[in-house]
Amino acid sequence: MDGDFLSLLPEHPLSRVLTSDSQALAGHQIEATTVLAFHYRQGVLMAGDHRATADNLIFSDRVDKILPLDSDSLMAIAGSPAVALEMARTLETSFEFYRRSQLQTMSLQAKTRALSQLLKENIPMVMQGIGTVVPIFAGVDYSLPKPAPTIHFYDPLGAQFETTSFASSGSGAGNVKSILAFQERWGSPAPHKMDLKQATTFALRLLTTAAQFDSATGGVDPRLNRYASVYSLRPGEVRQVTDEEQAQWWGKEKKA
Amino acid sequence: MVGQGEEGMSELFQWLEAIHDRGEYVRDQLSHATPVFALSRPEGILLVGVGLGQSKVFEIYDRHAIAALGNPVDIEKIRQTAIEAAHLEGFNRSPQDVTLRRLMSYSLSPALKNSFESVFQPPLIVEGVFAEVGETPQDDVLMEFSHDGNFGVVHDGLAVVSSNTAAATQAKDWLRTRLKPHSNRNRVLGLLLAMWQAMTNEERIGNSIKCANLETVDLGGRVLEMALLDRKTPNKVKYQALAGNA
Repeated sequence: MDGDFLSLLPEHPLSRVLTSDSQALAGHQIEATTVLAFHYRQGVLMAGDHRATADNLIFSDRVDKILPLDSDSLMAIAGSPAVALEMARTLETSFEFYRRSQLQTMSLQAKTRALSQLLKENIPMVMQGIGTVVPIFAGVDYSLPKPAPTIHFYDPLGAQFETTSFASSGSGAGNVKSILAFQERWGSPAPHKMDLKQATTFALRLLTTAAQFDSATGGVDPRLNRYASVYSLRPGEVRQVTDEEQAQWWGKEKKA
Repeated sequence: MVGQGEEGMSELFQWLEAIHDRGEYVRDQLSHATPVFALSRPEGILLVGVGLGQSKVFEIYDRHAIAALGNPVDIEKIRQTAIEAAHLEGFNRSPQDVTLRRLMSYSLSPALKNSFESVFQPPLIVEGVFAEVGETPQDDVLMEFSHDGNFGVVHDGLAVVSSNTAAATQAKDWLRTRLKPHSNRNRVLGLLLAMWQAMTNEERIGNSIKCANLETVDLGGRVLEMALLDRKTPNKVKYQALAGNA
């Protein structure tokens, strides 16, 4: 009764734990994408394109890579979707199980460690070269005097780092990080001073730029009504920025 | 042969007697507990109890909640059993596959029955109501359960659980004539708390009882525990603790 959902799984034969056996047939591998997160004025904005590829093949332009885990945390996935989606599902269940059974929410530190632990358990898949996951996690830190969301990024082996302003992962991350660093230092407004509309439009621009230099990133194409997965995180609130909102704000930006 | 038969009959009689005594013991223990309520409403399912804070009304899963009375440790055991079963099912299959009928039939009821009939183990002193919110009030499921594993579906959207079943029946009749779908939340709560007071104080339930004033109602030093399984929310988690819940 310690609220640890993962400890229940081995006792139940239907359950699947993240082991190399259960993921050995993961199939197509995706290590190419662009996901990003940065602080904006009211919280954290997390965005990702919808494209999934395997080598030179595009096999979907409808994948959601930003996943709400609970009302206080978001995860962006880059890497093998078979493993990454299962990690997200495991975390989502674990956080809710803990909250309901223990009658309190899991601390941010425990949440980030839970993801780190899953990544460590996945090392055999990483070593085989077919199950690498490099996620970004954003969660609300309620231990701060004024609770606020923080951004955390990981290496494939599970090491976890907290970032002060932004993070990006995937094959398009290099371009995105350069622009974010530039904008944060010299831009006006800096990302952390943007409102939600500005931040969303900025994220769409980043993905579009990443797609220009990285064929594995889908980017944004209003002509095809193709937008991105965009979520904002504030204390107690995960909000999806819908395609309609993105279309409206992107359109206004173009006219301006 | 005759001797063995007599011995078998004697053991059976002893077991029946033990079960009977056990039932009396549990009912006596439950008689000290105060009632809990669940009510299907247009906006969702309202669950109400009065306790020490986080002691009577609990979230179980995305669409599920429980209101229970009895020994706090035993309420906790049933709560944990339900939460574990629901999360395992939701993880192994999907949240849509977590249904109250399956939770009750295959997890909770057997656990309660085993506990009650294992005469060398202490029984679980707990009764209550489980709720599953649906798209419409007609899709809602309310199930009352008792300490021996028996359970029943509530068909009229109103559950009143008390160790005093006669008083619970009277309370239901009293509430049915007064609760309307368009009644506002304060009116509904006032009526439920009026019944809570009457049943707790063992008053005669009749027309002399009036809707309780929420500002002045005496809860005997305990706190109101109340939650809504909100059918209108777009969120997958429907449970919402309401003001008054510790």
